[in-house]
Amino acid sequence: MRAAAIGVALAGLGIATYLTVVHYAGGEPVCAVAHGCATVQQSDYASLAGVPVALLGVLGYLGVLAALARDGEAWRTAAAFVSLAGLAFSGWLTYVEVGILDAICIWCVGSAICMALLTVLTVARMLRAEPGGAVSAS
Amino acid sequence: MSKQAVIERRRAARIESERAERARASRTKRLWRLGAAAAAAAVLAAGAVAVSSNGGAKPAPPATTSSLLAGIPENHGVLGDPKAPLTLTEYVDLQCPICARAAQSTLPALIRDDVRSGKVKLQVRTLSFLGADSVRAARVAAGAERQGRLWAFLEAFYARQGTENSGYVTDGFLRDVSKAAGVDAGQAIGQADSAFASGRLERADADATRMNVQGTPTLTVKRGNGPERVLTTSPLDAAAVQAELDREAAR
Repeated sequence: MRAAAIGVALAGLGIATYLTVVHYAGGEPVCAVAHGCATVQQSDYASLAGVPVALLGVLGYLGVLAALARDGEAWRTAAAFVSLAGLAFSGWLTYVEVGILDAICIWCVGSAICMALLTVLTVARMLRAEPGGAVSAS
Repeated sequence: MSKQAVIERRRAARIESERAERARASRTKRLWRLGAAAAAAAVLAAGAVAVSSNGGAKPAPPATTSSLLAGIPENHGVLGDPKAPLTLTEYVDLQCPICARAAQSTLPALIRDDVRSGKVKLQVRTLSFLGADSVRAARVAAGAERQGRLWAFLEAFYARQGTENSGYVTDGFLRDVSKAAGVDAGQAIGQADSAFASGRLERADADATRMNVQGTPTLTVKRGNGPERVLTTSPLDAAAVQAELDREAAR
Protein backbone atom coordinates (compact mmCIF):
# COMPACT_ATOMS: atom_id res chain seq x y z
CA MET A 1 0.00 0.00 0.00
CA ARG A 2 2.87 2.31 0.81
CA ALA A 3 4.58 1.52 -2.50
CA ALA A 4 1.34 2.20 -4.39
CA ALA A 5 0.92 5.53 -2.58
CA ILE A 6 4.49 6.53 -3.43
CA GLY A 7 3.86 5.66 -7.09
CA VAL A 8 0.69 7.74 -7.23
CA ALA A 9 2.37 10.65 -5.41
CA LEU A 10 5.26 10.57 -7.91
CA ALA A 11 2.78 10.68 -10.81
CA GLY A 12 1.00 13.65 -9.22
CA LEU A 13 4.33 15.33 -8.55
CA GLY A 14 5.24 14.95 -12.22
CA ILE A 15 2.00 16.61 -13.33
CA ALA A 16 2.27 19.45 -10.81
CA THR A 17 5.91 20.04 -11.71
CA TYR A 18 5.06 20.24 -15.41
CA LEU A 19 2.27 22.76 -14.76
CA THR A 20 4.57 24.81 -12.52
CA VAL A 21 7.28 24.92 -15.17
CA VAL A 22 4.72 25.95 -17.81
CA HIS A 23 3.38 28.64 -15.46
CA TYR A 24 6.78 30.24 -14.88
CA ALA A 25 7.85 29.81 -18.50
CA GLY A 26 4.74 31.76 -19.55
CA GLY A 27 3.67 29.09 -22.01
CA GLU A 28 0.56 27.00 -22.41
CA PRO A 29 0.23 23.37 -21.32
CA VAL A 30 -0.01 20.76 -24.03
CA CYS A 31 -3.70 19.94 -24.05
CA ALA A 32 -4.28 16.89 -26.21
CA VAL A 33 -7.67 15.68 -25.01
CA ALA A 34 -9.63 18.62 -23.65
CA HIS A 35 -8.80 22.14 -24.82
CA GLY A 36 -9.20 24.32 -21.77
CA CYS A 37 -5.68 24.12 -20.34
CA ALA A 38 -4.65 27.65 -21.32
CA THR A 39 -7.96 29.08 -20.11
CA VAL A 40 -7.55 27.41 -16.72
CA GLN A 41 -3.84 28.18 -16.48
CA GLN A 42 -4.34 31.87 -17.23
CA SER A 43 -7.42 32.36 -15.06
CA ASP A 44 -7.55 34.19 -11.74
CA TYR A 45 -7.94 30.85 -10.04
CA ALA A 46 -4.53 29.59 -11.19
CA SER A 47 -2.86 31.41 -8.29
CA LEU A 48 -3.60 31.50 -4.60
CA ALA A 49 -2.47 34.74 -2.97
CA GLY A 50 0.11 35.10 -5.72
CA VAL A 51 1.39 31.52 -5.47
CA PRO A 52 0.62 29.31 -8.49
CA VAL A 53 -1.70 26.47 -7.46
CA ALA A 54 0.54 24.15 -9.48
CA LEU A 55 3.40 25.02 -7.13
CA LEU A 56 1.12 24.32 -4.16
CA GLY A 57 0.49 20.94 -5.78
CA VAL A 58 4.23 20.28 -5.98
CA LEU A 59 4.60 21.13 -2.29
CA GLY A 60 1.61 18.96 -1.41
CA TYR A 61 2.94 15.90 -3.24
CA LEU A 62 6.41 16.42 -1.75
CA GLY A 63 4.78 16.63 1.68
CA VAL A 64 2.96 13.34 1.12
CA LEU A 65 6.16 11.69 -0.15
CA ALA A 66 8.10 12.94 2.86
CA ALA A 67 5.44 11.51 5.18
CA LEU A 68 5.39 8.21 3.28
CA ALA A 69 9.16 7.93 3.56
CA ARG A 70 8.84 7.47 7.32
CA ASP A 71 6.81 5.07 9.40
CA GLY A 72 4.94 5.60 12.63
CA GLU A 73 1.46 6.73 13.48
CA ALA A 74 2.24 10.44 13.33
CA TRP A 75 3.68 10.18 9.80
CA ARG A 76 0.77 8.07 8.56
CA THR A 77 -1.60 10.67 9.96
CA ALA A 78 0.42 13.44 8.32
CA ALA A 79 0.23 11.71 4.92
CA ALA A 80 -3.53 11.29 5.28
CA PHE A 81 -3.91 14.91 6.40
CA VAL A 82 -2.01 16.38 3.44
CA SER A 83 -3.88 14.09 1.02
CA LEU A 84 -7.26 15.03 2.47
CA ALA A 85 -6.47 18.76 2.27
CA GLY A 86 -5.17 18.29 -1.29
CA LEU A 87 -8.28 16.36 -2.28
CA ALA A 88 -10.59 19.02 -0.85
CA PHE A 89 -8.76 21.80 -2.71
CA SER A 90 -8.61 19.72 -5.91
CA GLY A 91 -12.37 19.28 -5.61
CA TRP A 92 -12.80 23.05 -5.45
CA LEU A 93 -10.54 23.59 -8.46
CA THR A 94 -12.44 20.97 -10.45
CA TYR A 95 -15.68 22.79 -9.61
CA VAL A 96 -14.07 26.06 -10.79
CA GLU A 97 -13.13 24.45 -14.10
CA VAL A 98 -16.56 22.99 -14.76
CA GLY A 99 -18.85 25.48 -13.06
CA ILE A 100 -17.09 28.82 -13.48
CA LEU A 101 -14.48 28.72 -16.22
CA ASP A 102 -16.33 26.27 -18.43
CA ALA A 103 -12.95 24.82 -19.40
CA ILE A 104 -11.32 21.51 -18.54
CA CYS A 105 -7.58 21.18 -18.01
CA ILE A 106 -6.74 17.54 -18.46
CA TRP A 107 -3.57 17.90 -16.38
CA CYS A 108 -5.57 19.32 -13.48
CA VAL A 109 -8.06 16.47 -13.76
CA GLY A 110 -5.13 14.03 -13.72
CA SER A 111 -3.75 15.64 -10.59
CA ALA A 112 -7.18 15.55 -8.92
CA ILE A 113 -7.43 11.81 -9.68
CA CYS A 114 -3.94 11.26 -8.24
CA MET A 115 -4.93 13.14 -5.10
CA ALA A 116 -8.15 11.10 -4.76
CA LEU A 117 -6.22 7.82 -5.08
CA LEU A 118 -3.61 9.07 -2.68
CA THR A 119 -6.28 9.93 -0.13
CA VAL A 120 -7.80 6.44 -0.35
CA LEU A 121 -4.38 4.81 0.02
CA THR A 122 -3.06 6.98 2.85
CA VAL A 123 -6.31 6.83 4.85
CA ALA A 124 -6.51 3.04 4.41
CA ARG A 125 -2.85 2.73 5.41
CA MET A 126 -3.50 4.81 8.49
CA LEU A 127 -6.56 2.80 9.55
CA ARG A 128 -5.06 -0.62 8.84
CA ALA A 129 -1.81 -0.07 10.70
CA GLU A 130 -1.14 -2.59 13.48
CA PRO A 131 -0.76 -1.15 16.96
CA GLY A 132 2.89 -0.35 17.38
CA GLY A 133 3.51 0.88 13.85
CA ALA A 134 3.66 -1.97 11.32
CA VAL A 135 1.13 -1.94 8.48
CA SER A 136 -0.69 -5.18 7.88
CA ALA A 137 -0.05 -6.88 4.58
CA SER A 138 -2.31 -6.06 1.60
CA MET B 1 -9.39 -31.30 32.97
CA SER B 2 -6.58 -30.71 35.40
CA LYS B 3 -6.40 -27.65 37.58
CA GLN B 4 -3.26 -26.56 35.71
CA ALA B 5 -5.05 -26.72 32.36
CA VAL B 6 -7.92 -24.61 33.68
CA ILE B 7 -5.47 -21.98 34.90
CA GLU B 8 -3.73 -21.98 31.50
CA ARG B 9 -7.05 -21.58 29.66
CA ARG B 10 -8.10 -18.69 31.87
CA ARG B 11 -4.72 -17.06 31.36
CA ALA B 12 -4.94 -17.42 27.59
CA ALA B 13 -8.48 -15.99 27.62
CA ARG B 14 -7.32 -13.02 29.66
CA ILE B 15 -4.40 -12.36 27.30
CA GLU B 16 -6.74 -12.59 24.31
CA SER B 17 -9.22 -10.26 25.96
CA GLU B 18 -6.48 -7.74 26.75
CA ARG B 19 -5.19 -7.97 23.18
CA ALA B 20 -8.67 -7.36 21.79
CA GLU B 21 -9.13 -4.42 24.15
CA ARG B 22 -5.82 -2.92 23.03
CA ALA B 23 -6.77 -3.39 19.39
CA ARG B 24 -10.17 -1.77 20.01
CA ALA B 25 -8.55 1.16 21.82
CA SER B 26 -6.01 1.54 19.03
CA ARG B 27 -8.73 1.51 16.36
CA THR B 28 -10.73 4.12 18.24
CA LYS B 29 -7.64 6.28 18.63
CA ARG B 30 -6.86 6.03 14.91
CA LEU B 31 -10.42 6.97 14.01
CA TRP B 32 -10.19 10.02 16.24
CA ARG B 33 -6.89 10.92 14.62
CA LEU B 34 -8.41 10.54 11.18
CA GLY B 35 -11.37 12.68 12.19
CA ALA B 36 -9.04 15.37 13.51
CA ALA B 37 -6.90 15.19 10.35
CA ALA B 38 -10.01 15.43 8.15
CA ALA B 39 -11.33 18.40 10.14
CA ALA B 40 -7.97 20.18 9.97
CA ALA B 41 -7.73 19.43 6.24
CA ALA B 42 -11.25 20.79 5.74
CA VAL B 43 -10.38 24.00 7.59
CA LEU B 44 -7.17 24.39 5.57
CA ALA B 45 -8.94 23.74 2.28
CA ALA B 46 -11.81 26.07 3.19
CA GLY B 47 -9.30 28.84 3.87
CA ALA B 48 -7.62 28.21 0.51
CA VAL B 49 -10.98 28.18 -1.26
CA ALA B 50 -11.96 31.45 0.42
CA VAL B 51 -8.73 33.12 -0.76
CA SER B 52 -9.07 31.58 -4.22
CA SER B 53 -12.68 32.61 -4.76
CA ASN B 54 -11.95 36.07 -3.44
CA GLY B 55 -9.09 36.39 -5.92
CA GLY B 56 -11.43 35.54 -8.74
CA ALA B 57 -14.02 38.08 -7.70
CA LYS B 58 -14.26 41.50 -9.25
CA PRO B 59 -15.75 44.77 -8.03
CA ALA B 60 -19.49 44.76 -8.54
CA PRO B 61 -20.22 46.28 -11.95
CA PRO B 62 -23.63 47.17 -13.35
CA ALA B 63 -25.63 43.98 -13.58
CA THR B 64 -26.63 44.28 -17.22
CA THR B 65 -25.94 46.39 -20.26
CA SER B 66 -28.24 49.30 -20.93
CA SER B 67 -31.20 49.22 -23.28
CA LEU B 68 -29.40 51.68 -25.56
CA LEU B 69 -28.56 49.01 -28.10
CA ALA B 70 -31.82 47.08 -27.88
CA GLY B 71 -33.34 46.42 -31.28
CA ILE B 72 -30.50 47.95 -33.30
CA PRO B 73 -29.06 45.47 -35.81
CA GLU B 74 -25.38 44.60 -35.71
CA ASN B 75 -23.78 42.99 -38.75
CA HIS B 76 -20.10 42.07 -38.77
CA GLY B 77 -19.46 44.59 -36.00
CA VAL B 78 -21.32 47.42 -37.77
CA LEU B 79 -24.10 48.84 -35.62
CA GLY B 80 -27.16 50.22 -37.36
CA ASP B 81 -28.83 50.09 -40.74
CA PRO B 82 -26.29 48.79 -43.28
CA LYS B 83 -27.77 51.28 -45.78
CA ALA B 84 -27.28 54.30 -43.51
CA PRO B 85 -25.68 57.09 -45.57
CA LEU B 86 -23.01 57.99 -43.02
CA THR B 87 -20.45 55.62 -41.52
CA LEU B 88 -18.89 56.77 -38.29
CA THR B 89 -15.77 54.82 -37.36
CA GLU B 90 -14.36 54.97 -33.88
CA TYR B 91 -10.71 54.10 -33.30
CA VAL B 92 -10.30 52.94 -29.74
CA ASP B 93 -8.14 51.02 -27.35
CA LEU B 94 -10.34 49.23 -24.85
CA GLN B 95 -7.96 50.15 -22.05
CA CYS B 96 -8.07 53.85 -22.90
CA PRO B 97 -10.01 55.76 -20.21
CA ILE B 98 -10.98 58.59 -22.58
CA CYS B 99 -12.49 56.01 -24.92
CA ALA B 100 -14.62 54.85 -22.00
CA ARG B 101 -15.64 58.44 -21.33
CA ALA B 102 -16.52 59.01 -24.99
CA ALA B 103 -18.53 55.80 -24.98
CA GLN B 104 -20.50 57.11 -22.06
CA SER B 105 -20.81 60.78 -23.04
CA THR B 106 -20.93 60.96 -26.83
CA LEU B 107 -22.03 57.61 -28.21
CA PRO B 108 -25.37 57.26 -26.37
CA ALA B 109 -26.83 60.38 -28.00
CA LEU B 110 -25.46 59.38 -31.39
CA ILE B 111 -26.87 55.90 -31.12
CA ARG B 112 -30.22 57.11 -29.84
CA ASP B 113 -30.66 59.92 -32.37
CA ASP B 114 -28.68 59.02 -35.48
CA VAL B 115 -28.02 55.29 -35.50
CA ARG B 116 -31.48 54.26 -34.43
CA SER B 117 -33.02 56.56 -37.06
CA GLY B 118 -30.92 54.98 -39.82
CA LYS B 119 -28.89 58.11 -40.56
CA VAL B 120 -25.57 56.80 -39.26
CA LYS B 121 -24.02 53.39 -38.89
CA LEU B 122 -21.24 52.87 -36.37
CA GLN B 123 -18.16 50.73 -36.68
CA VAL B 124 -15.15 50.41 -34.46
CA ARG B 125 -11.49 49.61 -34.90
CA THR B 126 -10.07 48.15 -31.71
CA LEU B 127 -6.40 49.08 -31.54
CA SER B 128 -4.12 47.47 -29.00
CA PHE B 129 -1.12 49.72 -28.57
CA LEU B 130 -1.43 50.31 -24.83
CA GLY B 131 -0.28 46.86 -23.76
CA ALA B 132 -0.99 43.17 -23.36
CA ASP B 133 -4.37 43.79 -21.73
CA SER B 134 -5.41 45.75 -24.83
CA VAL B 135 -4.43 42.89 -27.10
CA ARG B 136 -6.35 40.35 -25.07
CA ALA B 137 -9.38 42.63 -24.86
CA ALA B 138 -9.37 43.35 -28.59
CA ARG B 139 -9.06 39.66 -29.44
CA VAL B 140 -11.96 38.63 -27.24
CA ALA B 141 -13.97 41.58 -28.60
CA ALA B 142 -13.47 39.98 -32.02
CA GLY B 143 -14.99 36.82 -30.57
CA ALA B 144 -17.97 38.88 -29.37
CA GLU B 145 -18.29 40.37 -32.87
CA ARG B 146 -18.71 36.88 -34.29
CA GLN B 147 -21.73 36.51 -32.03
CA GLY B 148 -23.18 39.84 -33.18
CA ARG B 149 -22.60 41.33 -29.72
CA LEU B 150 -19.54 43.54 -30.26
CA TRP B 151 -21.16 46.80 -29.18
CA ALA B 152 -22.76 45.26 -26.12
CA PHE B 153 -19.33 43.83 -25.25
CA LEU B 154 -17.67 47.24 -25.65
CA GLU B 155 -20.30 48.88 -23.48
CA ALA B 156 -19.92 46.27 -20.74
CA PHE B 157 -16.12 46.41 -20.97
CA TYR B 158 -15.97 50.19 -20.56
CA ALA B 159 -18.34 49.98 -17.59
CA ARG B 160 -15.81 47.72 -15.87
CA GLN B 161 -12.59 49.18 -17.24
CA GLY B 162 -9.69 48.80 -14.80
CA THR B 163 -6.31 50.42 -14.32
CA GLU B 164 -4.29 50.48 -17.51
CA ASN B 165 -1.93 47.51 -17.91
CA SER B 166 -2.56 46.26 -14.38
CA GLY B 167 -3.25 42.80 -15.75
CA TYR B 168 -6.94 43.11 -15.02
CA VAL B 169 -8.04 41.70 -18.39
CA THR B 170 -8.08 38.13 -17.14
CA ASP B 171 -10.37 35.38 -18.31
CA GLY B 172 -12.44 35.93 -15.19
CA PHE B 173 -12.85 39.62 -16.07
CA LEU B 174 -13.66 38.81 -19.69
CA ARG B 175 -16.24 36.27 -18.59
CA ASP B 176 -17.81 38.87 -16.38
CA VAL B 177 -17.95 41.37 -19.27
CA SER B 178 -19.25 38.70 -21.62
CA LYS B 179 -21.97 37.67 -19.22
CA ALA B 180 -23.18 41.25 -18.86
CA ALA B 181 -23.10 41.69 -22.64
CA GLY B 182 -24.99 38.50 -23.40
CA VAL B 183 -21.91 37.02 -25.07
CA ASP B 184 -20.99 33.34 -24.83
CA ALA B 185 -17.74 33.79 -22.93
CA GLY B 186 -16.36 30.34 -23.65
CA GLN B 187 -16.73 30.86 -27.39
CA ALA B 188 -15.45 34.44 -27.40
CA ILE B 189 -12.38 33.61 -25.32
CA GLY B 190 -11.85 30.45 -27.33
CA GLN B 191 -11.70 32.53 -30.51
CA ALA B 192 -9.20 35.00 -29.09
CA ASP B 193 -6.32 33.25 -30.82
CA SER B 194 -8.18 32.61 -34.05
CA ALA B 195 -7.17 33.89 -37.46
CA PHE B 196 -10.36 35.97 -37.44
CA ALA B 197 -9.28 37.82 -34.28
CA SER B 198 -5.78 38.35 -35.68
CA GLY B 199 -7.35 39.69 -38.84
CA ARG B 200 -9.44 42.19 -36.89
CA LEU B 201 -6.37 43.51 -35.07
CA GLU B 202 -4.43 43.77 -38.30
CA ARG B 203 -7.29 45.57 -40.02
CA ALA B 204 -7.56 48.05 -37.14
CA ASP B 205 -3.82 48.79 -37.29
CA ALA B 206 -3.85 49.13 -41.08
CA ASP B 207 -6.87 51.47 -41.06
CA ALA B 208 -5.39 53.57 -38.26
CA THR B 209 -2.14 53.91 -40.20
CA ARG B 210 -4.02 54.79 -43.37
CA MET B 211 -6.03 57.46 -41.54
CA ASN B 212 -2.97 58.69 -39.64
CA VAL B 213 -4.73 58.17 -36.32
CA GLN B 214 -2.61 59.82 -33.65
CA GLY B 215 -4.48 58.74 -30.53
CA THR B 216 -7.64 57.23 -29.16
CA PRO B 217 -10.46 57.82 -29.37
CA THR B 218 -10.48 59.14 -32.92
CA LEU B 219 -13.66 59.45 -34.93
CA THR B 220 -13.84 59.38 -38.69
CA VAL B 221 -16.81 59.81 -40.97
CA LYS B 222 -17.55 58.64 -44.48
CA ARG B 223 -20.53 59.37 -46.68
CA GLY B 224 -21.55 56.42 -48.85
CA ASN B 225 -18.46 55.11 -50.57
CA GLY B 226 -16.75 58.47 -50.36
CA PRO B 227 -13.45 59.16 -48.67
CA GLU B 228 -13.08 58.68 -44.94
CA ARG B 229 -11.99 61.75 -42.99
CA VAL B 230 -11.09 62.40 -39.37
CA LEU B 231 -13.60 64.50 -37.43
CA THR B 232 -12.14 67.79 -36.33
CA THR B 233 -14.19 68.05 -33.13
CA SER B 234 -13.42 66.42 -29.78
CA PRO B 235 -14.89 62.94 -29.45
CA LEU B 236 -15.96 63.94 -25.94
CA ASP B 237 -18.14 66.81 -27.19
CA ALA B 238 -21.37 65.11 -28.15
CA ALA B 239 -23.05 68.24 -29.50
CA ALA B 240 -20.06 69.18 -31.67
CA VAL B 241 -19.78 65.66 -33.08
CA GLN B 242 -23.47 65.66 -33.86
CA ALA B 243 -23.18 69.04 -35.58
CA GLU B 244 -20.27 67.86 -37.69
CA LEU B 245 -22.21 64.76 -38.72
CA ASP B 246 -25.19 66.94 -39.65
CA ARG B 247 -22.94 69.08 -41.83
CA GLU B 248 -21.52 65.99 -43.48
CA ALA B 249 -25.00 64.65 -44.16
CA ALA B 250 -26.07 67.96 -45.67
CA ARG B 251 -23.13 68.26 -48.03
